[in-house]
Amino acid sequence: METPAIPAPEARSAVPASLRGLLPVLLALPVLALFQGLMSDAPFASYLLSVVGVNIILAVSLNIVNGMTGQFSIGHAGFMAVGAYISGVLSLNFKDVALSFLPVAVSDQVFFVVSLLVGGLAAALCGFLVGLPSLRLRGDYLAIVTLGFGEIIRVVVQNTDAFGRALGLSGIPQTSSPAMVYFFVFLTVLVARRITGSSHGRSLWAIREDEVAAEAMGVDTTGYKVRAFVISSFFAGIAGALFAHFVPIINPGSFTFVKSMEIVVMVVLGGLGSTTGAIVAATFLTLLPEGMRSLFTLLGAEGSLAQKVDQIRMPVYGLLLVALMLARPQGLFGTKEIWDVLPRWIPRKRRGLA
Amino acid sequence: MSAAAEETKAEAGAPLLQADGVSIQFGGLKALTDFNLSVRQGDLQGLIGPNGAGKSTAFNVLTGVYQPTQGEVRVGGQRVNGWLPHQINHLGLARTFQNIRLFRALTALDNVKVACRAQGALHPEGVGLGAKMKGAFINYRDWWRALLLTPRFQQEERELTQQAEHLLEVMGLSHRRDEEARNLPYGEQRRLEIARALGTQPKVLLLDEPAAGMNTREKADLMVLIRKLRDDFKLGVLVIEHDMKLVMGICECITVLDHGETIARGAPAQVRSDRKVIEAYLGDSYLESHGGAA
Repeated sequence: METPAIPAPEARSAVPASLRGLLPVLLALPVLALFQGLMSDAPFASYLLSVVGVNIILAVSLNIVNGMTGQFSIGHAGFMAVGAYISGVLSLNFKDVALSFLPVAVSDQVFFVVSLLVGGLAAALCGFLVGLPSLRLRGDYLAIVTLGFGEIIRVVVQNTDAFGRALGLSGIPQTSSPAMVYFFVFLTVLVARRITGSSHGRSLWAIREDEVAAEAMGVDTTGYKVRAFVISSFFAGIAGALFAHFVPIINPGSFTFVKSMEIVVMVVLGGLGSTTGAIVAATFLTLLPEGMRSLFTLLGAEGSLAQKVDQIRMPVYGLLLVALMLARPQGLFGTKEIWDVLPRWIPRKRRGLA
Repeated sequence: MSAAAEETKAEAGAPLLQADGVSIQFGGLKALTDFNLSVRQGDLQGLIGPNGAGKSTAFNVLTGVYQPTQGEVRVGGQRVNGWLPHQINHLGLARTFQNIRLFRALTALDNVKVACRAQGALHPEGVGLGAKMKGAFINYRDWWRALLLTPRFQQEERELTQQAEHLLEVMGLSHRRDEEARNLPYGEQRRLEIARALGTQPKVLLLDEPAAGMNTREKADLMVLIRKLRDDFKLGVLVIEHDMKLVMGICECITVLDHGETIARGAPAQVRSDRKVIEAYLGDSYLESHGGAA
């Protein structure tokens, strides 16, 4: 990934305390600028990398709820849809408006970022409304409610003229760029890592491990679950909004239950609770169909199989998941991060948290 | 007899934990009937009874896991009926569990840090709207501090670590600092649970069978430790225990439950010779072989 190393929460370093908060962002910006420069002549690579980035955001944010907090949400595509449609409609309506004191390109980017944030906040609000009643309860209620929510959003979109009904929304300005996508990937990962390293993260882990004990030790379990869920929804909304600004058309078909399950598979494959696991799994699963397509073409299956890759994708996911559950039930990295499972000869950080 | 016991305690200050005529009913089953209790600072009380007598139910009512059907529970003078367990915990009531409930995948240190963090300024007292708003504000400010990694946050994190390390040291677990809780031996898991409970800075500590599964030596150590904790942390302690020797050895006042009813209360010697207790707890055979109570 383009993201620079994220400082371990308790690492003693030469960096002054006041700078440590901002330093990763400062380091990331030039890297992203360089990245953008490299990508400008490769539209297909840009598109593919953007999709990978969006999926990473989705997987990492879902991991905050499903992995760290141990709640089971299966409607992440619903929050993505909220972000995509809200920001899409916003961008469509402000398409021809520009800030006069700025160059057009910059003005476009400003509008883009604003609509991204609005999309994210709308999704976060939905997350709050969905989470508040269902997270008071323990167990599978969240799964049922989020499943319902995802479907409701899809049906609402399908029947609302403003959202283009089943035809979808087209003509959204394509203001997104790989650099922008990866800036938000970076931000999501940074937030996830910082939550893990803070007392909030520890409380979430405590809830995952034993909700009754966490409550008895003074952890406001409902509050923490809702906050984790809201943060997770926010980034799902951002992912959706980014998505809406680099694909030619968004329609309800992009945000079905299948999409939700795809994200869940990514999180489970990477290991519930592992941020780096989610990144690796999201990258792998997104590139897998492309890889299969090239493979089939190479094997000379003359397009027949290669064209059906998108249809055989889901069975492949299923098989992969079954194989994984048999071989490594805890996922690729379990609850650990990639540097905890790397070979011994690579210097590793001292583990603060499981 | 209970009146006498309570009178002698009267000068020790206001009760930190009080149960007044608490009853709890699950459908037709009366798990606890008219349960009274008061724990003051410096108390070391025992709660005993045969299996299914309602001891753990009593703990669950006191800590807010169950709501009493009747009667009221007061913590630090505050009526807590209808409060959530974490809110009651913030008033200064901490507990351990009969079957150990550690955060198994977290390190020993993190287990204690979770408890330490959940306290203090983070949760202003009270359940009113004002307190809620204030709590929400503090909470969100705190999240931002963590996300931005502000110097203030880093400072707090260091203090938390020190606090937790101190508690681990007190419980003799310093050498296990970075080990996952699930990998600790049984006795150490029990002690880690106590360390975690102490992390919430309690005024009253409820221990649910702290000596279960320990050998005689560990039990003896534990008795000394519990006394020491009471004195060092200025606690009131309430212990559920099956081991008669442990209870009789350290508790100054013992409450005996049977079928949810309080059948005796008093000093160990007094309880030991109570006919009803012997009958219910030790069995008829004991009466026969020992020729009845004194």
